[in-house]
Amino acid sequence: MQRQVAILFTILSLGTLLVLAFHSPEKWTVMAEAESFASPFELPPFGADAKGRPLTDYAMQGAHIVALPAVVAGLLVTFLGIVGGLIRCMGSARVESIVAGLREVVGALPRMVVILVVAILMPLEWHSLMALAIVWALLAAPGAMDEAASVAGRLGGARFVEALRAHGFSKVRIYLYHVVALNLRPVVVRQGAETLMQVVFLEVALSFLALAAGEPSFTHNEATTKSWADLLYQGYQSIAMDVPSGHALALGLLLVAVTAVAAVSISSAARAR
Amino acid sequence: MAERLLELRNLSVRTHKRILVEGVDVDVNAGEVTALVGPSGAGKSLTARCAMGLVNVNPGLYGGSLRFPGTGDSKDWYAPHIDGGASAMRKLLRETATLRGSYFTYSPQVASSALNPGRTIGRQMQLAMARRATPPTDMGAEIVDLLDEVGLAPRTAGSLPGELSGGQCQRAALAIAVAPLPRVVVADEPETGLDPVLRRGIIELLVSVCQNHGCGLLLISHHEDTVERLADTIVRLTPYQEQVA
Repeated sequence: MQRQVAILFTILSLGTLLVLAFHSPEKWTVMAEAESFASPFELPPFGADAKGRPLTDYAMQGAHIVALPAVVAGLLVTFLGIVGGLIRCMGSARVESIVAGLREVVGALPRMVVILVVAILMPLEWHSLMALAIVWALLAAPGAMDEAASVAGRLGGARFVEALRAHGFSKVRIYLYHVVALNLRPVVVRQGAETLMQVVFLEVALSFLALAAGEPSFTHNEATTKSWADLLYQGYQSIAMDVPSGHALALGLLLVAVTAVAAVSISSAARAR
Repeated sequence: MAERLLELRNLSVRTHKRILVEGVDVDVNAGEVTALVGPSGAGKSLTARCAMGLVNVNPGLYGGSLRFPGTGDSKDWYAPHIDGGASAMRKLLRETATLRGSYFTYSPQVASSALNPGRTIGRQMQLAMARRATPPTDMGAEIVDLLDEVGLAPRTAGSLPGELSGGQCQRAALAIAVAPLPRVVVADEPETGLDPVLRRGIIELLVSVCQNHGCGLLLISHHEDTVERLADTIVRLTPYQEQVA
């Protein structure tokens, strides 16, 4: 994908999600019961739920729940990936072996199981996606660090830094520009974008699980706040129980697709020449 | 007599545990080739790095002097840093930073790992040319000329290092090394990883390009036969076994 196209897709997809998040209503739009299950043709743009509330409220509140934690988790993985690459370039065998040991231990943990344990153990009043997103990012970081370290290794690691120093470049310029910006960027940005997407999917999965089990949500502690999982759950009802809410499923899947497009286009923009 | 460009005297470097090199003398003159030869672990690369002020050993220098008469200054760059430990070595590195990439440049052991894979060869040459005292007005034409001189096609300027073969990378590294019009080129085993035919070709090219530009060449090599044929001065190093008391 060309850089301009990738940047355009990034702006459109990520922009859509952020606009939804920032315009999230604190209170539900009051609708008449008569609008129940209104289709997108009757109530543009996306119709209404069983109580006549617009589905756009679900989309915006869901975006509000995921926006900040997903971005924070993405940035954390990107940062730790950069650290992994730079450690390889430092050429310190001792630091590298300590970090490699930590990476192996953390990398061997089953991510979803750890998340479920943390979510279950977390007190109800602490329920928030941010904590789970950070745990997810820390579990995803070893992969990013490994990949960044192997890119730095292919560069020549400490030898590459030394060669550039012999060419007269300063240490700061070599690490920040030649190593991070030019060479680690495609890898760490992709890892960060993937984590961003995974945190969104994690929220949907955990909220769906809570809905199905009739438990309070793991990712937010206000019952009136609705996640994208609520849209998908309504869609599921249209398939399993013949409730006329198929348009909710379409909107839920559209939001998931926009998230995936955002992650792919961010990676492509970072990789494109 | 050729102009003296680099004068390294009585170089002595050690770690906390052992002496790495002791009493090494190296001179590099304009248009001449000085070769450092010796087996692995003899300190060839270390000596070359020390000649550029890159002493990444702790505590590092405990004797010697380094002068660059070609700069018009007879200053001994090592004098304030002898026996100063790691902080003094870092200070020496900072002080000599202005010379690296302009007065002397470096052609590394494995060119493919020392060229920046994220930048085209042309852009890397541009950056190197920008370090000249007077950068050329028409960089594009200058890049094409230099690439031609090292036997590369002009379209190589638009290629990333990963798109080139080992021999082409080595030629590109050579073009980048001479692009700033340095007085001294330090070439660290430029034949590494190349087949015997290509190896001889690369070293001969390196010597001829440096002589064309009037640079002194400090060549590190394992291959004594090649070096004996091409070098004006040969410095033989042997591994130093003595432990620090």
